[in-house]
Order: sequence, then C-alpha cells, then structure tokens
Amino acid sequence: MINDNDPSTLSTSGRLLSYNDAVKEGLKTGEKFTDLMDQLINTKDPKVLLEAAEALSVFELDSDYVTFPHQYNNADYYLIFMSRLLELHDKGEAITLQSHEGDQHLTQSLSALGDLASFAFTAANDSTGGVYYQDQVTNETVFYLNLKRQIMRFNSSAITTLFIETYADKIDSDHLLSATDLLIAFGQSLKTDFGFDVDFNLLDTSNNEFYAFKTSNLASGIVDKLFVAAASEDYMLKHDKDGAVLELTPDVTLKIASHNSTGAAAWGLYVQDSKQEVSWFKILLQYPFLRHWYLDDLADLQIQSDNLVF
Amino acid sequence: MQNNNEESNQELTPGQAQLDSSITQKINYLQTLQDALHDRDDRQIYELIDNTRYAREIKKSRSTTQTQNLADLVADDHPQLSHYLSQNLIEYLGKTYPFFYYDEVQDGEFDIYFGNWWDRRLFGQLDVLNVAFKFDETEYNKLKRTFELDSANQRYNTENIAQITAKSAELQKLIDQQDERDHQKESLRDQLKEISQRSTLPWDSGKVKEERQTIVDQLSKLADDDEAAINANKQIKENDEQILTLSKEDTILTYEKQSIQKSFEDFSHFESHNLSLYADYLNNLIGKGQVKTDD
Repeated sequence: MINDNDPSTLSTSGRLLSYNDAVKEGLKTGEKFTDLMDQLINTKDPKVLLEAAEALSVFELDSDYVTFPHQYNNADYYLIFMSRLLELHDKGEAITLQSHEGDQHLTQSLSALGDLASFAFTAANDSTGGVYYQDQVTNETVFYLNLKRQIMRFNSSAITTLFIETYADKIDSDHLLSATDLLIAFGQSLKTDFGFDVDFNLLDTSNNEFYAFKTSNLASGIVDKLFVAAASEDYMLKHDKDGAVLELTPDVTLKIASHNSTGAAAWGLYVQDSKQEVSWFKILLQYPFLRHWYLDDLADLQIQSDNLVF
Repeated sequence: MQNNNEESNQELTPGQAQLDSSITQKINYLQTLQDALHDRDDRQIYELIDNTRYAREIKKSRSTTQTQNLADLVADDHPQLSHYLSQNLIEYLGKTYPFFYYDEVQDGEFDIYFGNWWDRRLFGQLDVLNVAFKFDETEYNKLKRTFELDSANQRYNTENIAQITAKSAELQKLIDQQDERDHQKESLRDQLKEISQRSTLPWDSGKVKEERQTIVDQLSKLADDDEAAINANKQIKENDEQILTLSKEDTILTYEKQSIQKSFEDFSHFESHNLSLYADYLNNLIGKGQVKTDD
C-alpha cells in the first residue's frame, strides 16, 4: 500500500516501490476475483459454490490503483449461484442465464414461462446483504434471499399476482407448475445442502403447514361464500371443531381453521393429503371456484408472508 | 326414643297402616328403579318414570295406575336420568336419523343440530325422558316449506333472490346510464336557455310556461336518478350480502331436504316416524331385552 506518511518525505524510489506494491495488491484482488469466478462457474461442490457466491456478493474488485471497466453487479452473482445450484441438482436446462453485454448485467429466464418473465436479483438494502428475486417485467418480488443469514422467504402476494392471475390465462397449469417447482427445488437445495431456513409459503406441500390469512378476524360471510360456491360445484363445506373442512377428493382435504399449528389463535388454511404433495397454490390452480373465492376477498385471505422482509 | 306403649309395635292404627304401605310402595318403587339402573334396563326405567304413557302406548292397556305420583320421587334426578338414558337413545336415533347431531349443553339437556355442514342449524332439543324431538318451529316450518316448493322445482328463497337480483339490475342500469343522463340534462338546459331567449308573443306565454315546466320536471326526474345512482353501489353491495345470506339458507335447506329424502324418502314419512318415536324406541328395547334373555 502507498505510504500514508507525508509523500515529500519519500524518495523517488520509495514512491515507485509503494506504487508498485499498490498495483500488485490490486492485481492480487483481481486474481482472487477470478479464482472465485472459477469456483462459481465450475465447481461441482455446492459448499464451494456457496462460499464463492457469498464472497463475490460483497466483493470490492476495484482498488485505488487498479480498476476494471467491465464488471457485473454484485447481485448478478446470486443469479449465477442460483443457476449453478439448480444445475448441480440436474435442473440446469429449466433455466437460462442471459448476459446483456451493453450494460453488463445478467437476467434469468425460466424456460417454462417463456418470454413472460425475466428475473434478476436486486439488493434489499437491509444492511444484512439480503436480495430480492424480481421479475423485470412486472417488478414483482418472488422471494427474498439472504446467504449470510441463510434464509429464503417466498412472497405469497407476488406468487398470486404472477402465477395465479397474470400468467394463468397465458400458459397452461403444467408449465406454471414446472416454473414454481423449479423455484421450490432451489429453496429445497438451500435447505438440504446448507441448512437454510426456507419459508415456501403457499407453495409448501406439507400437511402441517398453516397458511395464515392476512386478516386475523375472518368474517363469517367469507366462509359462507365458500359454502355456497362449493355447494354449486357439488362439494360440501363441512362443520369442523375448529372451523370448516372441505373434502376435495377422498385424499385431499382443505381445512379452514382458527388456530395455527402451535395452537395460537389465527385464521388460515391447512391442505392435507397422504403424500404431502399438494399445496394451497396447487389447489388454487386446479379448482376455479376456490380461485375465485380466494381472489374475490384477497385483501383478507392473502396468505401472510414474512413481514420482516416484505 | 323411649318406648312407652309396647302394644303399638304390634298393632297399627289404620292411619299408620296406610302410611306404612305408602312408604313400602315408595321403597319398592325406588328399589325397582335402582335395580333397573344397575341392570341397565332402560325399558324398565322408562316404564317407571311415566307409567301412564307406557301403559297406554306400549301395553295398550287403559289401566289407570296410582303409581304415577311415585315418579315425582325422582323428579330432581331427571337431569342425571336424562343424561344416563341418552346414551342408548342417541345410539338408536343415530341409525334412523343419521343427520342429527346432539350437543349436551347441560346435564341431560341436548341441543339438536341438523347435519355436519358449515353453519348447520340448531334445530331444536332432544327430550330424552319423553323420547321426543322438540323442533324449533321456525326452522321446522322452513324445511317443511322447502319440501312443498320442491315439486315446483323452487328453493325456499328463489323468489326472494330473484326480486333482489332484479332490484340490483335496476340499480346497475342507473349507474350505467349516467352518461346518457348527463347528455339529456345538457340538451334540456339548452332548450330552457333557448326558450328564455325566445321573444314571446303575449298570447303565447301560457304555452311557453307549460313547455318550460315540462323541461324542468324532466330535469328534476334526472336529478333524482343521479341521486339514486350515487347510492346504488352501496345498495348493490348490501343486496349481494342479502343474496348471500339467502343462498346460504337455500343451500342448508337443500342439504337438510336431501338428508331426509335419503333416510325417509319424503317429509310425511319423517313426520310419522317422529310421532311414533316413543313406541318404536320402547318396543326396540323390549326386543333387545328378549334377545338378552334368549342368550
């Protein structure tokens, strides 16, 4: 590094030496950067991949004496990380990274969604290094990711707006499901490979997942509407100890309950099936009368997302 | 107590004898009741708590009995008796009336719920000691009416809903015609202006006044419509809520009707079953008792 002391006290050769050291240091930083890029692009080990992504997401490539004119945004490394992690889990073909050479940035598209959406990460500016995975067409934030705090949070509002409302009449539900399955696979990898804490929200298929409504005080008229709508489709909304229950198939049951899984008072849903493959999201795609019911009173029924990050 | 008169132990006065027999009768009554309870002989208990009815409906005898007042001995035990007797009775009712659900709100007091669907109705009470349903009259009559309307392919609230729907359609029309009304108002105002600017001959003034009044009336009618249109959205929303309440009631009544049809085919069978419930149940208990003795 250049000497902080008064420059006039240095000899010419002293100045040259410290300049040279500073350049070397800058080049070393560059070399460290390319090593990390090598890891990020080539490693087959998820742990090494995560390390590289974490380091690059906060990497300062430029130094006082060495700057690099072509650089990606820090958030772009998250995209590479995501694509690579999915690739390591044999889902690489379902996702495409696009490099935009003009202003040097990356976007990602899910092949299931075609041209409908293009995703990129943006900084959440929450001082803990969190990022938002956003659709560039609608600016909807699909999930929040924080590599340092090892958490991922899906955003029910965006999932509903994009996958239930916006895309629903543009592509078939098989494609919608393969797109969300890919996002779920990414969250699942974070969970199993690194032990992340992931909230899948309305995409969660486990039976004990409590999908909490936004309203804490569900008006009985809203349940009445479901009762009438279900009856006209030959489903009976039944009385239940803790609310109401709707048997959609002999194996798939939807429950409206006034207590969450820890027993605390809250209104919300449970979706139960023996294989634990069905989520509230899948039900919304499959049953128009439930979709109408949900969207009609979305202000109350919207599934709660982690309000610390959304 | 000191025994001063030894003879009194041996010979009872008529009054004492009557008292003695009365007490014996009570002891026997209570003893039989207790034995029946221990033997879980519900039939015997029913006979003991309402001897007259039992004689009339089961034994088909007209013998008047003096033991009815004995039943008063256990009057304050009725809640517990009812609680005890409910176990077998409810199990029995479950076969014939699978759509009724019972909630013991107090010892021996049972509310009847119709069905297991959302917001099922509280349909009345179960009188265990008298083996009878005490249906809520209003709810019962709605169901009866539902059956009557069924032949005309109508639901209980079909007409009501149609009326409200028509009202909402009118209101929607008022909202939709706002532009049209605005145009009309504009043209009417222009006409007014034109009339006031017209130089009128004296003998025409009556005719002009009339013309003017017609326009003013039209304008005021349009203003009323505008006013109504402003409140229309709120009114439509209220109508929607009302329709929801009525549709819900129709759905519930349909489920009730279907439940009855499934078990009794029609409402009259249901009603006649209810009337003979006491006899049917007691005879069923007698049948069971025989099976037990046969074993």
